[in-house]
Amino acid sequence: MREPNAVDFWRGIALITIFINHIPGNFFQNYTYSQYGISDAAELFVFLAGWSIGIATRGRDGTPEPALRTVLRLLSRMVEVYRAQLVITALALAMLAGAALYLDNPLLVEWHNAGPIFSDPIQATVGWVTLLHQLGFFNILPLYVVLLGLAPAFVLLARVHLGLSIGISVLLYAVSLVFEINIPSWPMEGHWFFNPFCWQLLLVLGFAAHEWRRGSGRFVVWRRRLMPLGIVIVIVGAILSWFNLRPDPLAVPEPRLLFIFDKSYLSPARLVHFLGVLLAFQAVFGLVQPRARWLTEQLAGLGRNSLAVFSVGSVASLGAQLIRFWTGGGFATDVFVVGCGLASLSFTAWFVEWRSRSPRPSSAA
Amino acid sequence: MALSLSPSLLGGVSFALVASLGFAVQAQSTTPPAAQVQPAQAPSQPALAEIPALQATAPSADAPDPSLSPECRVPGSKLYTLAKLKAVKKALREHRAVQVLTIGSNSGGLGTAATYPVRLEDALTRSLPDIEVTVESRGVSGEIAFGAAERLRNQVAEIEPDLVVWQVGGNDALARVDIEEFSQSLAETVAWIKSHGIDVVLVDPQYTASLAKDDYYRQFVLAIQKVAEREQVPLVQRYEAMRYLATRAISALKGAPAQSGAGFRLADLGYRCMAEHVTRAITVSLLQPDIAGPAIPPPAH
Repeated sequence: MREPNAVDFWRGIALITIFINHIPGNFFQNYTYSQYGISDAAELFVFLAGWSIGIATRGRDGTPEPALRTVLRLLSRMVEVYRAQLVITALALAMLAGAALYLDNPLLVEWHNAGPIFSDPIQATVGWVTLLHQLGFFNILPLYVVLLGLAPAFVLLARVHLGLSIGISVLLYAVSLVFEINIPSWPMEGHWFFNPFCWQLLLVLGFAAHEWRRGSGRFVVWRRRLMPLGIVIVIVGAILSWFNLRPDPLAVPEPRLLFIFDKSYLSPARLVHFLGVLLAFQAVFGLVQPRARWLTEQLAGLGRNSLAVFSVGSVASLGAQLIRFWTGGGFATDVFVVGCGLASLSFTAWFVEWRSRSPRPSSAA
Repeated sequence: MALSLSPSLLGGVSFALVASLGFAVQAQSTTPPAAQVQPAQAPSQPALAEIPALQATAPSADAPDPSLSPECRVPGSKLYTLAKLKAVKKALREHRAVQVLTIGSNSGGLGTAATYPVRLEDALTRSLPDIEVTVESRGVSGEIAFGAAERLRNQVAEIEPDLVVWQVGGNDALARVDIEEFSQSLAETVAWIKSHGIDVVLVDPQYTASLAKDDYYRQFVLAIQKVAEREQVPLVQRYEAMRYLATRAISALKGAPAQSGAGFRLADLGYRCMAEHVTRAITVSLLQPDIAGPAIPPPAH
């Protein structure tokens, strides 16, 4: 098992943050960093996914692996993520329906956009299996599926020239923002919660950051020099967030998505804020690692097994919401559900690694 | 549509399906208004004359509204509180198309061919026959108190409608968010929409028997009424209307053993009736005179 590193550490933090933020109204939500800025853990998660693609598509000696292998690797990961999305969505639907039956409460089958799946199953079954209908909070993996589908093109373009890859990515981002292009949702009207045509930029930036990092020492030098700028951006973001200051989407000039704070389209303000967060907190892992090894090991363990941990976290956060609803919430309930949830995330990370170390029962048969 | 052919669906909701065949907003009520919602606010003839396209009469406050289809019939006092809809009225006067944005679930009931936005468009078109009405719908995932209000603003900016019909509070109530925090966020968002010359109609959350004694939930519904009153926007009292329909269903079944799944059938009926109920609240609100004065306060509960 690889030693704790900054990528796994931060991914672990993103996973915990997403888990807690997906239990709306809980006490601990007030203390996640998402409350103190205009971007949140989703940006971190996607950026680190790009960085990981950079690592995964090179051999141990740093040479790029053959193109076909890269394509197959990324596409097989895409299938894995898609499978995870189907499984957790099916579980979520059963949990909502089961809770609705048990508590005799039909409102629960309407929660988180689940309504059409029960009231209009013919269309909505096609919708959720094709990812066009997404449950609330179950919308990150569909984004990731599309990003992994796009990733081979960006990785292979980057082998011609990294600038080419970034240029096309920025162009796609800009065109999607200006012309408001997003994947539609179906059967309900509307669009995807996370627009892949915009969010791909973060994946490509994460990938590019990894390439720069291994390619030249100047990257690290500039990263350090820009740290104060990052801190300023984080402070500005905290002020905007604290005082709830944001542009009025009906008062900004066209193209309005360039000026507003919009999560679906990863509007420029969110992107700049996130890059500021990266610059401001770049040294944290180096500071924490020697002082709190247990903590970094735990977090990196979550990060190493991010898909399994994310999937369990998604289901656990819905379970926590149902328990909060059932019991009426409160501090003790929050401590209980968040505590159990974090324990289940840790157990998942341990279990996945234990299983990969242990011989499979089927091979002994 | 094929959905309505499913035997299992038919089994569960057959009575409502049969009723839905008779679904129609009777645009021209033959029953004369026995009493106005509030006599002081009785629509004056000039107000009607300004918008000749409007096919509605103000109903009695306490008797079941005869212009609604039989299974959805609820007295006006249990169905809505009224306020002016300036932007829609202006569009009617100018004889231009009215664009409506519905926020929330688009369910029109189990196994029905038409979704709620389609039914709403249909019902509004019947009530406003000379005017083109288009309805767009958006679901909002998440809570008003935690970011969904922000996304809603962006959706309103994307569509720039004349009227927003907002089924509000379901997600927040289930997440048991702080009621004060929710109210504040709701009031700010409603005020923001109105500040851009867009009308708002709020639809409060559904009633279900298992939540009838849940204090938090009742407080929550009350908080929405208060916001509607303070911000002077019409409110479709779905909670009250469904409670009324539930009581009626129980008295109709007097002596019969309690049926399992009654809550689910009521929820289904709630969705079937929503387009009619919303349309009624809009058309009666449009009858509100333009003279200055406070909106009709919600009935005491």
